[in-house]
Amino acid sequence: MKLSATIRGNSYTFRSVKEVLARANPPKSGDDLAGVSARDPVERVAARAVLSQLTLGELRANPVVPYEQDELTRLVEDNLDEGAFNAVKHLSVGQFREWLLEPTTTGQKLRSVAPGLTPEMAAAACKLMSNMDLMVVGAKCEVVVRCNNTLGLPGTLSSRLQPNHPTDDVQGILYSAREGLVYGCGDAVIGVNPATDTPESTAEILRALGDLRARNGIPTQQCVLSHVIVQMKALALDCPMDLMFQSFAGSESANRAFGISVALMDEAYDLMRRKKSSTGPNFMYFETGQGNALSSDAHHGADQVTMEARCYGFARRYKPFLVNTVVGFIGPEYLEDGPQITRAGLEDHFMGKLMGLPMGCDACFTYHAKMSQDELESLKVLLGAAGCTYLMSMPVGDDIMLNYQSSSFHDIPSVRSLVKKSPAPEFDAWLAARGISSGHTPGERLGDVSVLR
Amino acid sequence: MSRGYPESRTRDLVAQLRRQLGENDPNPPRQPLPEVAFPPVRVFPSPRRRSALAEAAAAHTTALVGIGAVGTRYATDVVLQFQAELAVAHGAVAAELPGDWAESKGYFPLISRVTSHREFLLRPDLGRRLSEASAAKWAAECKKDVDVQPILADGLSAVATQGAGPELMGGFIAECERRGWKVGTPCCAKFARVWLEDEIGQLARAKVAVILLGERPGLGTGDGLSAYLVFNPKLGNTDGNRNMMSNIHARGIPPADAAKRLAVLAQLMLEQGTSGVALDLAPRAAELGEAAKGGYRKPEPRTRLVEV
Amino acid sequence: MPVLEPILPRVLAVRRLPGADPALLRAYGADPERHTSLALVTVDQDDPTYVALDEATKHARVDVVYARSFYAGSRHASGPHSGEILGVLASDDPSEIDSAIEVLLRTLAHDACFYGANADSSIAVFPHVIASLGHYLSAQAGLRAGEPMAYLVAPPLEATYALDFALKAADVRLVKAFPPPTETNFAASWLTGDLPACEAAAMAFAEAVVDVARSPRDR
Repeated sequence: MKLSATIRGNSYTFRSVKEVLARANPPKSGDDLAGVSARDPVERVAARAVLSQLTLGELRANPVVPYEQDELTRLVEDNLDEGAFNAVKHLSVGQFREWLLEPTTTGQKLRSVAPGLTPEMAAAACKLMSNMDLMVVGAKCEVVVRCNNTLGLPGTLSSRLQPNHPTDDVQGILYSAREGLVYGCGDAVIGVNPATDTPESTAEILRALGDLRARNGIPTQQCVLSHVIVQMKALALDCPMDLMFQSFAGSESANRAFGISVALMDEAYDLMRRKKSSTGPNFMYFETGQGNALSSDAHHGADQVTMEARCYGFARRYKPFLVNTVVGFIGPEYLEDGPQITRAGLEDHFMGKLMGLPMGCDACFTYHAKMSQDELESLKVLLGAAGCTYLMSMPVGDDIMLNYQSSSFHDIPSVRSLVKKSPAPEFDAWLAARGISSGHTPGERLGDVSVLR
Repeated sequence: MSRGYPESRTRDLVAQLRRQLGENDPNPPRQPLPEVAFPPVRVFPSPRRRSALAEAAAAHTTALVGIGAVGTRYATDVVLQFQAELAVAHGAVAAELPGDWAESKGYFPLISRVTSHREFLLRPDLGRRLSEASAAKWAAECKKDVDVQPILADGLSAVATQGAGPELMGGFIAECERRGWKVGTPCCAKFARVWLEDEIGQLARAKVAVILLGERPGLGTGDGLSAYLVFNPKLGNTDGNRNMMSNIHARGIPPADAAKRLAVLAQLMLEQGTSGVALDLAPRAAELGEAAKGGYRKPEPRTRLVEV
Repeated sequence: MPVLEPILPRVLAVRRLPGADPALLRAYGADPERHTSLALVTVDQDDPTYVALDEATKHARVDVVYARSFYAGSRHASGPHSGEILGVLASDDPSEIDSAIEVLLRTLAHDACFYGANADSSIAVFPHVIASLGHYLSAQAGLRAGEPMAYLVAPPLEATYALDFALKAADVRLVKAFPPPTETNFAASWLTGDLPACEAAAMAFAEAVVDVARSPRDR
């Protein structure tokens, strides 16, 4: 394994694959904070040159957190599909990037090798790709999943309806939910981040949303994003839980800070499989975001893109219906500004899709990050063009509970009409029957809450 | 087309004929240019009415619902309201505490290891430690062995600090003195994160440290303060060691009420000798009111920011 | 799109019948004493298929027992797999049927096809040169197997007008003419001569069809 490169007579040598991966990353404030980023732009390119020569087999042999120290590494290594891995292990990362871009490498082909890819391979490819590279490959990936409806079909763009409320006032939540539905939002999920993390409030919100769905025959699913232990307790309270949620991080120690482990998630998955109210084979929902391992000092000296990819290695064990990266939520100490947040959104979408996950993105910023509303709107269109499975949606993009800026109800039909994408087919038919929209075309009754019961 | 299959004479012959006809690679046939229509006499957007839903919803949520749409986008007044709220939030984050502000208010001026506003946003670790000069001066001159060390700080909104900060600080110190506690030298820290209270309190050998600082602005609300209290402040404490109260501003918890409740929290800490998750709020639940429940934002009417 | 782009034929359905019922064999013109196996194929272009069927007889021990165009062509087909022709090959050996199908498909993919006489290919021309006839088309034309033939097809006026140019372009003779209306409402003609003459005639035919396509009313 060669870990050095020369640029204009200056030779650059790296100590480990982990260091090569980190130094090859485009600039991120979180990598600076962790002290792992390239010291200058030329060193960054040197790291990329070294990375381009490493084979996928070498990447598998050098996970950024050792097998003995981390259950996520063990989970990925022990469950890797050897047939799929054998198809790609001989490729250098540079060749892998080119194979991904080949027009003959179809979505079907990409999906077939996904189970043989480790997170480090997805992260490595990512580092050699420009934003448009990430979009071109992302748009080719086809990951189709089914719960009460079907997400990820070619030509579709779905949305999570996020009717959060600072005090979990059910009436307030329903006002936002109804408003979102008539803008064509909510085919991925109607999902509430609760202010109060208790089984009782989780069950109460689920019942209210389930009732709204039943009354109007809405082909989607509901979810309350409380901690997984709280949701497991809520399942005992007789409530309609279509999807079970949890936030993930990229190492065992980071997940411990989240209060989860592989064993706990296995147990939660098994309980949900027996008690869920939904119909399809996919019923888990995970959220991730670059920087969340470093924020609990559990990044093991790795960069935040690679740590993010490791979340996907964890997530794919549970065949999720939804995965999304809450890309700008974590704050400027991890992603400083518009260009960094934009890049991270496209990276996470690409890596998740490459690893076979139905990847959505919460394109967002906190008010202390240096991103403008215009930059955020651009990112939503880029994600739409890149084949992102779903975006978030809330009134004017303002989350009144979590205090950050995301996509709005209005943005969803706008992006759909710009990139010519339709909602999930079941939901599309429901919208068309009410005159709200048809395919990517807004209808007469867009925004008219009186079409709901 | 015939390349690679030389057995097709006809394909080769036709390709040759096509070249002869000058038709090998011509431009596509030209479409007629679109004609520009005559303008109508006058144009108007469709009339828009504010939905009754907005009124009904306002009783339950501050979310902007029932705002209608122009095509799939916002009406102009919605855009302006939104931009005004965003500008207020961004303005609050961008504001810096003027260098002489602390002294002008009679506070002992302190500064963290951060040297610029950008660094403050990017390096939370530096915002959690005093600069060497500040630490030395504070260690030399501050009142020691105090019951409560009050600290005012900028946090993520210097606007909030300069607004309700002095009133909250003054009210809290008065509450402490009324209880007969030894109160530390009132200080004000620039470029400060919550955990800075550990080092400041440790140097003053305080039993309880209280930091009052501007909270991360939400849309249209750049003036909120939060308070974090910790028993036995020392480097190495984590969030689990702290109690907090958020949403301190005129439309949330008014500073005067907040000052009283913070004193009650400090009293619980002095009585129980602990803070954070270990602190039992039940003995003084009635005095704490809302604070006992945590720090949730109550729905409050959304202020109309743009009047034309 | 430039003119004279190939319009590739689409093979719509292929079926083998290794031991066909004698009644079926007889009904489709085969001889139960000589034939046991059939190949059935439908394609959306008829004339390239006649050429391809004939080509198959040169490379495999098969007979073309049935080949008919459908009324009004493939745009008015009776079903999605009907196209505009059904061809039936017969043999006493299923493996000969397999080789015949392979030759037929290869000929349709790489040799015989219509070409667009205008930019959007709404006018189709078939100026095909067969260097060496098989025993199917040679029998139809009354020529000997192995002789060259120009197989020329276009819409009615174009075909009639262009035939004159073909006949005058080289030393060729008209073997058989199929004036409109035919099943598909195209018009066709078969010409023979030596190979260079057939080639010159076919290209003159194609050029004349393109000329009509460019200015249909007058010059």
